[in-house]
Amino acid sequence: MRNLVRMIIVLTGICACSALVLAYANKVTKAPREYQLLKYVQAPSIKSVLTTYDNDPIKDRIVLKMGKDNKGRPLSTNVFLAKKGGKIVGLAYEAAGMGHEGLIHVMVGVNPDGKITGISITTQSETPGLGSRVTEPSFTKQFKGMTLSDSLNLSAKGGKIDAVSGATVSSKGVVTAVRKALELFPKIKKEIG
Amino acid sequence: MTLTQEFTKGLWKEIPPFRLVLGICATLAVTTSAKNGIGMGVATTFVLVFSNLLISMLRKFIPRNVRIAAFIVIIASFVVLAELYMQAYAYPLYKALGIFVPLIVVNCIILGRAEAFASKNPVLPSLADGLGIGIGFTISLFVVGGIREIIGHGTLFSVPVMWSSFKPFGVMLKPPGAFLCLGLILALMNFISSRKKG
Repeated sequence: MRNLVRMIIVLTGICACSALVLAYANKVTKAPREYQLLKYVQAPSIKSVLTTYDNDPIKDRIVLKMGKDNKGRPLSTNVFLAKKGGKIVGLAYEAAGMGHEGLIHVMVGVNPDGKITGISITTQSETPGLGSRVTEPSFTKQFKGMTLSDSLNLSAKGGKIDAVSGATVSSKGVVTAVRKALELFPKIKKEIG
Repeated sequence: MTLTQEFTKGLWKEIPPFRLVLGICATLAVTTSAKNGIGMGVATTFVLVFSNLLISMLRKFIPRNVRIAAFIVIIASFVVLAELYMQAYAYPLYKALGIFVPLIVVNCIILGRAEAFASKNPVLPSLADGLGIGIGFTISLFVVGGIREIIGHGTLFSVPVMWSSFKPFGVMLKPPGAFLCLGLILALMNFISSRKKG
């Protein structure tokens, strides 16, 4: 009986100490882990949508609260700031639009006047070789220099973006995502001042 | 045995995975390059040294019946620590090793040393044992990874080392290459030992 009690106490003690140490380590490494994830997963697309800057946009990022999702959890967006000589010269942030197979996430680079400096598809699951061709530069470069206006639409709807042939739904998803991103722009601009 | 002997036995006499044929899963799976081999070796050494240290300190408190469970909790905690810090400060390596980082928990070398050595010996010899076996394991992984990288890719630490017309043997980077390489090194080491004795 004494032995049983001892086993329970020792094992419980060891597990409790282990949980304590791991919880602490998890807290301490949280910020650098997030930084590394952004640096290696999102940095390539951030770099491609921003133009001249001399800072580290991943370090100079701000997290903006974006209301709540349909389950009531708070949503937030990472906004990456590009600075040159301490002055903000561009922003990059992600938005999503519904494609043919699911959400298409697009990283959008915007300069302080609200003009697009570049877009890059970060995640998509469109049909390979068909819808997935929206990631190609020949499609994404059309967005460069556009603002939130009527021309930011597919040409079939009177805009100036030519859809990838045979992939109208995917192309529309990208346009929706970019438009969503630009609709957020005044709010983000107000936040960063 | 002296402390130095406890340390050096891990470098030749009991070097894993060649002499103690344990920890084969990690050895075969992650040694596609010298860098991955060393990364895996260092992570394993960290876990081995600290779990040996802690288990040796607690050896009089842990009841015999639950010792394996207690050892596994201690080992698993250090593995998660290693995983978290790797993710935070060595992300590309973490990505390259993938699932094999959490799998260090079930690496038989660590549980083997805990059960066969640390649970029966004082702190200092356990520390020397862990360090020796860990460094031995790192050297072995580096050798296997290096050979596979040179033959399978023509590079060492991503630097080209072979002549320019060298055609890499892609099979060395695949699982059969790992078995080939491990088996040949094992044979070579046995040959050298038998010559020494005879």
